[in-house]
Order: sequence, then structure tokens, then C-alpha cells
Amino acid sequence: MDVEPDRLIASVLRIAPPEPPCRPIHLTAACSKVSSGRYKVTRSKNKPLTYEQANPPHYLFVRKGFNSFNTSNLKDGVRPSESAMEDMFIRKFISGTWHNMFLSEVIIKRQLNMIRISGIVVRNILPRKMYFLIGYTEEMLTNWLQCPVKLELQTTDSREDVVFKYI
Amino acid sequence: MLSLCFLPARAAVPSARLVCVRAASGQPAAGRTDDPQFRPLDIGRRREVVQQARERRRATLPPPRHERQPVNQQWGDVWPAPRTFHPDAVPLPLRQGFVKRPNAQAPPGKHANAELMKIANFLHLTPPVIERQCRALAKFCTPWPEGLTDERLDELRPLEVITQDFLHASPTLRHPDARVVSLKVPLSCLDLTETDRDKLLRLVGDRHDPKTDVITLTADRCPLRRQNRDYALYLLTVLYFESCKREPWEAELRTVADAEKFVWAGSASEAAVAPLGAAADVVNSYGEAVTRLHNEGEDESTLAEYRKAVVALLGLPEHVGAN
Repeated sequence: MDVEPDRLIASVLRIAPPEPPCRPIHLTAACSKVSSGRYKVTRSKNKPLTYEQANPPHYLFVRKGFNSFNTSNLKDGVRPSESAMEDMFIRKFISGTWHNMFLSEVIIKRQLNMIRISGIVVRNILPRKMYFLIGYTEEMLTNWLQCPVKLELQTTDSREDVVFKYI
Repeated sequence: MLSLCFLPARAAVPSARLVCVRAASGQPAAGRTDDPQFRPLDIGRRREVVQQARERRRATLPPPRHERQPVNQQWGDVWPAPRTFHPDAVPLPLRQGFVKRPNAQAPPGKHANAELMKIANFLHLTPPVIERQCRALAKFCTPWPEGLTDERLDELRPLEVITQDFLHASPTLRHPDARVVSLKVPLSCLDLTETDRDKLLRLVGDRHDPKTDVITLTADRCPLRRQNRDYALYLLTVLYFESCKREPWEAELRTVADAEKFVWAGSASEAAVAPLGAAADVVNSYGEAVTRLHNEGEDESTLAEYRKAVVALLGLPEHVGAN
């Protein structure tokens, strides 16, 4: 036969034909570029960045603080995965409840059996509505996470207050 | 009629959008402002209206707390518990943040600064507050007794109970490893005979440290620390009293071949030497030499001692067998 038996079988069985064994090498320099947590500079230099966005992730614990504080990752700490999943849930819930109102990242601190959530919120709704949102958030999260949840927010007038630089 | 159709639509009917733009800019539409029937259509939030509303809201807000609070207030009452940093309550002019050119740009201030909110602050534990708490606790404290040194404590309280507490924050209050209780007891403080001690060491196994002569009992089978502590004390009591008891089958178990150390009294060696009829002290020294040889092994000093004892026992001249 003019066709290799492997390829013939592969075509009959309708599976991908086996690749010939080879070990490729880089013929040019490998571009191992990290692009996480970095923002592209705009032409008109009008993109606002907060302090947290302006410092890429390798500045954590150098120029930036952590957003989440718990004892799970100490030696002999308990429930690290549950804490991480709860943190993700809390952030999703907050971003969905407070529509476009959080100007900073959600900061989650676990102390004793309490969860203390803080962040910077813009004052674009009535105070009465804000009180409702705070109560709603605390109540729902307390019920879901089965521990006291306290919200300690800081409010500010305008969105320019959190801008650190423009790129 | 036909001629009207060819007129451009724009000239015939001005669009609503054009009217609205003219009204927002503040200039009167041509011939429209005084007309009560045709008010200008205003769609959307006009910028001045929004800004005026914001100014009004800002004006009605009271000044921040740090401008209103009296200077002689008790800070411990203002910040009684751990709380996220709030710039309006804390009167300090703080700045937090890294700037590449500090001469050109000041570090970010305390308002709307997420970094200041992230870090743990100890504003609830200022020195006056700590002093107040210490003064409140002082009435429950008495000075340490002078004669109670470490050695005296070891005599009076030889039992050591070791527990671990963990830095722990979770919905459940109990850390699973915090229930483990260890008990350390030096054997010297227990009233034991040789056989009692031997039995206890067999029961305890490798929980006994031969260097320090301390038994360590670890209890973790109960869910609570108190229960584990009680169980460990119970275990110690049972161990002690069991090692003092003698079961009838124990005597049958132990034969001379099982003994860890050679004991002269009642041994075959003693029975063999008795017919020789030597003096008691010679027999005793021979007994000691044999005991040392068995228990400590063969080396220069034990063999020399054995040779001397045998020579004395058999009444041979002293140089026999000497190197």
C-alpha cells in the first residue's frame, strides 16, 4: 500500500492520525511574558487606575496589601479551600448587589467567628437605600455563611477620589 | 400640493433633538420661549442640574467626625473594638502608598485609601486603654509567692499538662487539634518497687523517655479538651495501680531466661559455688564479679575483676591467668 497502515486505520475509524514522533525546539527566543494584573497604556493617557491597579501583582506585600485575611493558610490552619470559595462567593455577591458602587476591591477579614467586609463605596444613591443594601448584604451573607458578617464601608463623593494615576 | 412634496423635510418640521439642544444651551429657541403651548422638550439629566444637586448634598453633610469631636474625649470609647480604619473618625493626618517621585507627588492621603483599610490597625489598643484594662485586672492579681522557685515547683507539682491553642478564625469555634492533651510525669515521684516499675515500663512502652525518666501520655480520643485531660489522668491512675497488682499468671511467665539483668541471688552460679565452702565475703565478691560480667558485658575491667574473684575463691596463687 502507498498509504501508511496507521493513517489508513485512523481514516477508517475516523480518529486523528497519530503524529510522527518529534521534539521541537525554539528557533527564536521564547517570549515568556507575564501579563496578569497589568493595564495597557492608552494613547490619550486618560484611563484612570486606582493604587491597587497601578501596582502589578509582584508588588503584593511590598507596595500593596492583601485583600483577604484569614488564618487558614497558617501551619495547622483549618479549612483553607472553604475560606477561598467563600471569599469568591462574597466578592461575586457584593459586585452583583452593589451595582457599580464599589470603587475599591472588596476587603475580607476573618476574625474569631466573624467576617468583616470593607471597601470604598460611592455615594450615588440615597442614604436610606444604602442602609437597606448594608442590612440586606449582612443578613443574606450571615445566613449563607453561617457566621456573623459585618460591613464596614467608607463612602466617598466622586469616583476621582480613588484614582491614583492615569495611563 | 405637488410642489410641497419636493420641499426638504428639515425645513418643514424641525426635529425634536434640535429643539432640545437649543433649550439646554440656555439660548431661547427662535420664537418659542414665550409660547405657553409649546414648552421645550427636555430629555435626559442636564449637567448643571446634576452638579447643583451634588453641591446641595455635599453642603447638607455635617463636617467629618474628626473636626467635631472634643479634644478631651476618651478615645477608648470612640474606638472600643477592632474596626476597619475610617478616615473621618481618626484625627491623624496619615498617608499610605508608594510614589515613584515623592518630590513631585505626595503619597495618597487617608481618604478613599484602600491600603489603609486593608492593614490591621490597633487603634482599639492605645496605651491609655491598655492601662485602663490592666487596672481593671489588677485587683484579681496577687504577687508570685517568693519561696516558689522552679525546683520547689518540680517537687510540689511534678505533673505537667501540655495543651496547644491555635490562632483560628472560622465559623466553628473549635480547632480540631486544640483538644489534644499531653501529660508528663517523672517516674521518680511515683511510689514504685522494682517489679512495679518494671511492669509499668512494660505497659507504657516507648512513652517512657529513659534519659529523663519521664512518661508522656497523650490523649486525643475525646472531642473536648477537658474530657481528654480527665481521660489522661484516669489513664495514669490505672497504669499505676495495675503495675502495683500481681496477677497469678505473671509469676509463670517470667523465667530466668526472660530476665533483663542477671541477679546473683538464687541463680545457678550461686548454687554451683556453695559446695566450695569459701568465706562469705569471697563468695560475695565473686557474685558481684559474675553480676558485672553478665550485666555490663566483657571488657578489661570486668574480666580482671572476675579473674581476681575466681582466684580468691579457688585459693590459687595470685599470678595465675594474669597477662
